[in-house]
Amino acid sequence: MNAVTQIAVPSPVRRETPAAVAISIRKLNKFYGGFQALRDIDLEVGQGEIVILCGPSGSGKSSLIRCINHLEQHNSGTIRVNGTELTHKASDVAQVRRQLGMVFQGFNLFPHMTVLANCTFALRLALRLPAAEANDIAREYLARVNVQDQAAKYPSELSGGQQQRVAIARALCLKPSIMLFDEPTSALDPESVGSVLRIMEDLAATGITMVCVTHEMGFARRVADRCVFMEKGEIVEEGTSDRFFSAPSTARLKAFLQQVL
Amino acid sequence: MHYDPVLAWESMPTLLAGTATTFAVLLPVLVLGLLLALPVALMRLERGGKAVFAASYIAFFRGVPSLVLLYLVYSGLPQLSVVRDTFLWTVFSNAYFCAWVGLTLTHSGYMAEIIRGGLAAVPPGVVEAATALGLSPRQALFRLRLPMAARYVLKAYQNELLIMVKSTSAVSAITLVDLTAAANTVFDYTYDPFTPLVTAAAIYWCIVNIMRIGFTMADRKLNRHLARG
Amino acid sequence: MPEMGFVQQLGIGALMTIKVAVLSYLLALAIGTAFALVTLRRRLVVGFIWQVYASIFTGVPSLLVAFLFFYAGSGIVASLASLVGLTVTVDISPFAAAVAALGMVYGAYLADLIRSAIQNVPPGQFEAAKVLLVPQPATWLLVILPQVLRLALPGMTNMWIVVMKDTALISLIGLKEIMAYAKLASGVTKEPFIYYVLASVFFLGMTWLTYFVSRRIESWSERGYKPVVKQEPAHAL
Repeated sequence: MNAVTQIAVPSPVRRETPAAVAISIRKLNKFYGGFQALRDIDLEVGQGEIVILCGPSGSGKSSLIRCINHLEQHNSGTIRVNGTELTHKASDVAQVRRQLGMVFQGFNLFPHMTVLANCTFALRLALRLPAAEANDIAREYLARVNVQDQAAKYPSELSGGQQQRVAIARALCLKPSIMLFDEPTSALDPESVGSVLRIMEDLAATGITMVCVTHEMGFARRVADRCVFMEKGEIVEEGTSDRFFSAPSTARLKAFLQQVL
Repeated sequence: MHYDPVLAWESMPTLLAGTATTFAVLLPVLVLGLLLALPVALMRLERGGKAVFAASYIAFFRGVPSLVLLYLVYSGLPQLSVVRDTFLWTVFSNAYFCAWVGLTLTHSGYMAEIIRGGLAAVPPGVVEAATALGLSPRQALFRLRLPMAARYVLKAYQNELLIMVKSTSAVSAITLVDLTAAANTVFDYTYDPFTPLVTAAAIYWCIVNIMRIGFTMADRKLNRHLARG
Repeated sequence: MPEMGFVQQLGIGALMTIKVAVLSYLLALAIGTAFALVTLRRRLVVGFIWQVYASIFTGVPSLLVAFLFFYAGSGIVASLASLVGLTVTVDISPFAAAVAALGMVYGAYLADLIRSAIQNVPPGQFEAAKVLLVPQPATWLLVILPQVLRLALPGMTNMWIVVMKDTALISLIGLKEIMAYAKLASGVTKEPFIYYVLASVFFLGMTWLTYFVSRRIESWSERGYKPVVKQEPAHAL
């Protein structure tokens, strides 16, 4: 009897150990000439996990996110995305990018294409879908980010917040399993920030994996499963968002949080 | 096809005489073109009839090839009785004079547009400040707006000047023996086209690149205040 | 009064001018685009070849280049061919010499123009296309080219006018274009003024036509760049 009770007692296994790994990074190093932007980065992101990267500017968080989709080439270490190792081979790069959606700080919408054409462009050229099907998918996602009424306009006719939401819709159209956000609200005026963050919160609730570089600490606290603090190319501290904000263990994170909160 | 250094050396006096002609055509054109361009540019910035005239002037002389202008001046004008029956005939039968007139008109058209652009780039606040300080419009123009415009347009002026150096090769059409024509003369005598033409090309190349270096130095001096750090 | 026969010849010459100018410009575009693309990344050998090419062809009058190609062209081709062990004899016509000279000279200018236009397309545009998995040829053709065109168009328009006007100068190598016929008519009729005026009118007309067309193309390439401002009815006082 005793033995049975003992077995029934839940062992103190950490619940957040993910069942399946979406992104796994081991001993990653990145140099720009003589400057080391990333130093021995180890990071694992589970499927469906929302991970926030923060840190002062120049800390390497953007470099890290850009290495994951091979916009920057890492010099050593390994990156695995849904099991595929990201080498510098074109076929691996394509295989990895197929899993990833990317949202940039500066939107990077194609200025000479309408909002709808921006969204259908990759569907037509990368996935070779027929026009009607591509349009349907694009309209669906434009509706999800609340810009369906602007489909016929050009990006320059939209506010910054609307443009960034179009960029999110454009990335979602390819149905990625992981979304990468590189400071998605940093180029926005204060009024637009909220609308973009709201869309990102909705998205987080759908169970998609997200890695997001941001300075929006309120958003991080509400949405993140895990926060990662980087400085000078290294991961200094990481933890669940509760512990991260209420009980930071390193002096550097404490100092950083005091500055931004 | 090979380059004959002996022939190149022997034809040097002819080619240098041609170079002298090229400069004899070029230098007055640069001065006269600039003098003519200034009032046209100022008129272009005004309103009404003057601006229309200036705009047409610029459009015409920029739109017509300098070769056409040279032919018009050299053989077209003497057909008109105003020219043919007066003292003007002696003037217009001089090829140098016609080359100066034809190329000056082209150059002034381009220069007027460059100066206009430079003057338009002067911030209006500068002129207002000058007026507030009691400078007359004339003083403001010569002491302030033009010197400032000169700095803005240095690069455009460099391009225009180098184009003019090369445009002078058109004057061989009205019997002047410039550097290009001189090279052709050597070819006529020797039946070797390669050596004199390549030598002439080298001389042009030197002229153009010496000017480029000069402009780079002038740019460094004039735009010191824009230098970083 | 101009005689109709000569005016007709002037028209034939004008067509020749247009033909030479268009072909030269297309050649210049091809050379310019090729050099712009290969010199985008700093590579030592390619960069050096480009520097030498640009320095020569922007430092020498196009007329001199045309003379060189016309008189010495067949010799140059023959010696180049003999380097690879071929015996080639070609006759260089004034037409071929003119197109080659103008194309090579203005290719040097267009290369600079096109390269700086490509460099001024924000790098984010390439990145966005990459992460969207758009194939490279489609990226260049549908994303980058339209934006390059918009940036380079004013310069390219000017260059076209310069090429067209330079075609007149090239007539001096014996090309039967509008200036050659104007000169011929002037000599025969002893009425040079009228024929040279007609030639000027042709060039002015072509310049005007160029600006008319380029404004159309520019407003097309500017689509999406300026917010469409709706004209509101003027307020009553």
